[in-house]
Amino acid sequence: MTETTVILVLVVITALGFDFTNGFHDTANAMATSIATGALRPKVAVALSGILNLVGAFLSVEVALTVSNAVVRIQNSDGTPKESLTSDGGSALLLIVLAGLVGSIVWNLFTWLLGLPSSSSHALFGGLIGATIAGLGWAGVNWNGDGSKLDGVVGKVILPALLSPVIAGVVAAVGTWLIYRLTVGVAKRFTDNGFRWGQIGSASLVSLAHGTNDAQKTMGVITLALIAAGDWTDTKSIPFWVKASCALAIAAGTYLGGWRIIRTLGKGLVEIAPPQGMAAESSSAAVILASSHLGFALSTTHVATGSILGSGVGKPGAQVRWRVAGRMVAAWLITLPSAAVVGALMWFIGDSIGGLAGALVVFLILVAAAGYMYWHSRKTPVDHNNVNDEWDETAERREPAGTAV
Amino acid sequence: MSNLGFALEGAWKVLLAGLILGAGLPAVFALGIRSMAFGAGGDAEVDHAAPHPVGRVVAYALFVLVVLVALMGIIFIVASGFGKTLSFEHIYPTIVDN
Repeated sequence: MTETTVILVLVVITALGFDFTNGFHDTANAMATSIATGALRPKVAVALSGILNLVGAFLSVEVALTVSNAVVRIQNSDGTPKESLTSDGGSALLLIVLAGLVGSIVWNLFTWLLGLPSSSSHALFGGLIGATIAGLGWAGVNWNGDGSKLDGVVGKVILPALLSPVIAGVVAAVGTWLIYRLTVGVAKRFTDNGFRWGQIGSASLVSLAHGTNDAQKTMGVITLALIAAGDWTDTKSIPFWVKASCALAIAAGTYLGGWRIIRTLGKGLVEIAPPQGMAAESSSAAVILASSHLGFALSTTHVATGSILGSGVGKPGAQVRWRVAGRMVAAWLITLPSAAVVGALMWFIGDSIGGLAGALVVFLILVAAAGYMYWHSRKTPVDHNNVNDEWDETAERREPAGTAV
Repeated sequence: MSNLGFALEGAWKVLLAGLILGAGLPAVFALGIRSMAFGAGGDAEVDHAAPHPVGRVVAYALFVLVVLVALMGIIFIVASGFGKTLSFEHIYPTIVDN
């Protein structure tokens, strides 16, 4: 086995690791409300969501090879890697991808530890941007696109992130308000049962859409690495094992369930009743599908959070914990730069050691960081047994405070 | 046009589609539930009115409508995975190449 092959294997493992964190980070987007209202038992909810993510991932036949083009310039427009990065057998490009992936995983795990629903796609883009800046300089980043369409970091990441939670929030608030108005005078027992069904249906749609959108990104990254290392040449299709392993990784991650994040979204932000849950998930599903129809890139996480917040605003007399919302927004704002900093740092470490040893050190740093954060999470475990416990603001604030990487 | 222009253009379309499908459809579902309660009568409603069988018929019609639109959503997800999309050119949705 050549050095490049070993680095390639590390990249593939890391990419699947990212896909896995992508799954458990985003279980909450679809299932937090159904779990909080008791429409589905926690284990049933994550199993349903996992299966739908698996199905969704296999449905994505279109090749997402150019996924990184929106933010960095490491690929040509047909998806092949830039020649300047593959002249040494591909390891220049592989190191950028590896460092970027490590940045995104570390940030995903850290926000999970804090129970904050940050965007996995922002983490991925952030990590890649950081590693690219470190490796190629500022010019390696596609900041603003070329003005012919919505593109670049500003157009594909920042503007959608600002707009999508607001849109989802407005839709969910209007939906919640309408639902409560239309069912005035109907017994609560009666409405709750009906809306639980509606909630399960709309949450399933969100899960399916998530599988098709998000697993594709990892498939694109792995295929890019394979092409760079010379193990694949077709830019129109991806190897079946890549598709199958990505689908399994995101489904397994979803099934594991990021219980900390589910708890924050389902119990922390708003006390959700079934009618609100249905309004929130319908809003998420409609906004996600409409924007992917219109080519408007957005993060499932931002949409889901905006929707849940909106369902709290739209219900007369509901309590919205703005302090929790504020912490989430803060996490969103720093996700991209933080993942970028870690990604850049990893590139510098990998590059200064150089070659296979550099890549190995970066990989071991990831393993150590992940292990540390997992160990830390065991001190205050959140799982399917206590995910729905009463939200106590003072206790919840004490628990994550003081945790640092 | 700048990125901001493109984003705002996309945003209001998403908002419009979101309001119709994401808020309108749950409202139709809510009407269905109200209608169901009207049909069931008794303690399904706070005023304990007598049952009205027509309420159930209307309720099922509304639920079928909601399910049909949700199915359209699933077809859209599947179609976009195969590089196709839904066209509303002929009012009723048809699957076309993306």
